[in-house]
Amino acid sequence: MSNNNAQRTVTVRIQRFNPDTDKKPYMQDYQVEMKPGMTVLDALHEIKTHQDGTVTYRRSCRHAICGSCAMHINGRNTLACNTPLKNEVTHKNTVTIGPLPYLPVIKDMVVDRTTFWEEYLRVKPWLIPPDDIPEKEFRMSQDEVKALHDAETCIMCGACYSSCAVIGLNKKYIGPHALLKSFMRVLDPRDSSPAERLEEVSGADGVYRCHTIFNCIDACPKGLNPTQAIETLRKLAQKRQKLEEARRERQKHLNEPIPA
Amino acid sequence: MPNSEVITHDVIIVGAGLAGSWAAMATAQQGVKDVGVLSKIHPLRSHSGAAQGGIAAALNNVRPVPGTGPRGPLEQIPVGDELVDSTELHMFDTIKGSDWLGDQNAIEIMVNDAIDVIYEYEHMGCVFSRTPDGRIAQRRFGGHSAPRANYAADRTGHVLLHTIHEQALYHGVKFYAEWYVMDLIVEDNAVRGVVAIDVLTGKIHLLRAKAVMFGTGGYGRAFKITSNAYANTGDGVAIAYDAGVPLMDMEFVQFHPTGLYQHGILMSEACRGEGGYLINKNGERFMEKYAPDKMELAPRDLVSRSEQTEIDEGRGVMDDGQGIFLDMRHLGREKILERLPQVRDIAIDFVHVDPIDDPVPIQPTAHYSMGGIPTDVHGQVIADASGTPVVGFYAAGEAACVSVHGANRLGTNSLLEASVFGRRAGYAIAEFIKGGAKLLPVTGDPAERSRQAVKELLDNPGTELVEDIAQELKANMTMNCGIFRDEERLNIALDKVHELQQRFKNARVMDKGSRFNTDLLATLEAKHLLTFSEVIVKGALNRTESRGAHSRTDHPKRDDEDWLKHTIAHKGEDGRPQFSYKDVTLYWDRFPPQERKY
Ligand SMILES: Cc1cc2nc3c(=O)[nH]c(=O)nc-3n(C[C@H](O)[C@H](O)[C@H](O)COP(=O)(O)OP(=O)(O)OC[C@H]3O[C@@H](n4cnc5c(N)ncnc54)[C@H](O)[C@@H]3O)c2cc1C
Ligand code: FES
Repeated sequence: MSNNNAQRTVTVRIQRFNPDTDKKPYMQDYQVEMKPGMTVLDALHEIKTHQDGTVTYRRSCRHAICGSCAMHINGRNTLACNTPLKNEVTHKNTVTIGPLPYLPVIKDMVVDRTTFWEEYLRVKPWLIPPDDIPEKEFRMSQDEVKALHDAETCIMCGACYSSCAVIGLNKKYIGPHALLKSFMRVLDPRDSSPAERLEEVSGADGVYRCHTIFNCIDACPKGLNPTQAIETLRKLAQKRQKLEEARRERQKHLNEPIPA
Repeated sequence: MPNSEVITHDVIIVGAGLAGSWAAMATAQQGVKDVGVLSKIHPLRSHSGAAQGGIAAALNNVRPVPGTGPRGPLEQIPVGDELVDSTELHMFDTIKGSDWLGDQNAIEIMVNDAIDVIYEYEHMGCVFSRTPDGRIAQRRFGGHSAPRANYAADRTGHVLLHTIHEQALYHGVKFYAEWYVMDLIVEDNAVRGVVAIDVLTGKIHLLRAKAVMFGTGGYGRAFKITSNAYANTGDGVAIAYDAGVPLMDMEFVQFHPTGLYQHGILMSEACRGEGGYLINKNGERFMEKYAPDKMELAPRDLVSRSEQTEIDEGRGVMDDGQGIFLDMRHLGREKILERLPQVRDIAIDFVHVDPIDDPVPIQPTAHYSMGGIPTDVHGQVIADASGTPVVGFYAAGEAACVSVHGANRLGTNSLLEASVFGRRAGYAIAEFIKGGAKLLPVTGDPAERSRQAVKELLDNPGTELVEDIAQELKANMTMNCGIFRDEERLNIALDKVHELQQRFKNARVMDKGSRFNTDLLATLEAKHLLTFSEVIVKGALNRTESRGAHSRTDHPKRDDEDWLKHTIAHKGEDGRPQFSYKDVTLYWDRFPPQERKY
């Protein structure tokens, strides 16, 4: 498959930092034999298990679904597990890896996502269903499902959050990940509180804080578009009462087949 | 390591995948609010989120278009038309899939609870794919005789996991993310709590509780080629066994037919459910020979063996002949983009093949752990073949063995099992607590014992790399305890495991620090792999028959006379597994054992 990928040694330059022992972050180089099909995560694994067990990062699924391994690779936020090593090796035969920016570093590539999860919790990620629960499923149209598709694909890796210039300025901000979640609930015909949700996200630290710099779009390893979702939330926030009424109307028919 | 406080909860749940999160949510929902959930990775990173294809329940939303035969295209069932599925049929398929080793009382509960659990997910906000009239969409899956895999594109596990985690948060469950449980405390056959490392600080804590539940997931990481996440190291299984709790049917390990060639990463069975073919070097759809009726949608044990036979007989693809082609080109771009977007990305990312244009090289991959901690249908862990409860200890999901999958699990039945029995365990725990369960005393200082054990590992000047030991184990398990087994190879496997257990004593942890020491965790995980692998191999050696995923070339027939029974393994005084056997619960009048043909 990857036959254009002759074996060679590459330099993996890692930003090291353990607050218990180091005054400040420093760079450390490791040499790795590049095997066909190797990912950046494979290279880190090779280093950790055979050269230096103190090199620390998060990982689990190794196929871009669990969201553990987001990091800063050659100046860009992405997932280590689905990034081919050979694509990242520069002309100097080097790949540079560090933690997601703007977040406190726990150790090497492990960052503290506390604020990230707090904002997620703040938008009430759970559905607020109508009082009337049918015996079977709520009926949703294929188009209604499609509208949620992107938001629903989000793996909460934090690549967007930590690429966001607003977060970089250390401002209180709900953040693209949580706004995307909020978007998903606001658009779900089964959710009964779109107006309240829009109220919550349209405060000073909500949708208007977004400077539409689009960093989050470039950063998203799943190819999602949080900025667009944020813009939609802004528009909906303007007419939230109308949306609330339309939702009430829609919810009268949640129990009925979608007309052909 | 610095000293640390004792933490107390009414209920401690270990694991935040579907099983653990359901148990936590259900317990809290029933009014028992003091629930702490420990997970070695953030809950949303749990392996349940990697599940792709679907979750089974006989909802009767779709059927093959009339007149197109059982493999024809699917359509929604018009209101009032005849139904194609039933819980009875789901039950029969599961029993047959299990090669009659599944306990039929547990299977009956699972297929009945299935319908309600899926609707509960939907009411909690899970975004399923839909039929044109707005019902939950369903597809076909191997071994199921009706389309009953309810799905959300090809990231079903992801949406289920996010939904149940949100609900657990809503109900006020407290999560300890990145806490690694290393010991279970059982005294006089009653649970007392667990010992866990707070990964961030490295502090080791005693956590006491009236009830403890394990939803710690599977053990696929004991094999070289596997679909499983790094986290699936069977910790819970090994920890329980070390605490004196038995393990059941550990020799039954499922190999999934379509792992990516050389990577093992899963290409969902939905690829075949949607109509994909398996092709050998000569371009033949070889399943014609092995399962003329169900073809590619025969159950996984059979399809994996068929692939391995093609490979062993020289009809494999790729340079080394170790691959098979999964051909989806005829499904067309639109269907692949709509129904299998994640699978397509995976093929492009890891083997640089776009399934729209080319066949994808695959090979069988260790996928699912049928065995585990034995429980009754309420998630209550049992201590022996006669069903004596381990008071206050519960388990569910892939770590448990209830047993609904018997010798071979059908696809989509395990998300279901984790949900149904996680929820049931939650209800049972709430009852147990409300019934006046007590916080039982703990003898001595178990946390101090664990601290000593960790100190010994860290201080060991050993020369062996943990990774080398783990890799040798995995290669050994795949080669000698894999799809096809025989006495000779299993003996080699067992010797190797014993040798590696010895060598582990000379293992060196490179990271000596306390902060976020994942090197230490990997070492504990490797120890767990070595612990339960011995039980797998020894159980496989004892079982002189072929049943489901356990295929002995020297005993190729199923032997109901001697082996229609569950394997139970306790850790003996000498540290070696001691075996006893437990009857399978069968409804002889309804589902007596039959020959298993597809
Ligand atoms: C790639 C893939 C695809 C699959 N697709 C399907 C499918 O389509 N349909 C289907 O039905 N099944 C599928 N399965 C199987 C199914 O996903 C699993 O069986 C199921 O999700 C297991 O859920 P669980 O809750 O038991 O465990 P998991 O989701 O694995 O969760 C285990 C939890 O335990 C925690 N844990 C483990 N050890 C420790 C420890 N020492 N200390 C603290 N916490 C610990 C982990 O952090 C985690 O939270 C698939 C499996 C794989 C590998
Ligand atoms: S390891 Fe799961 S997203 Fe990379």
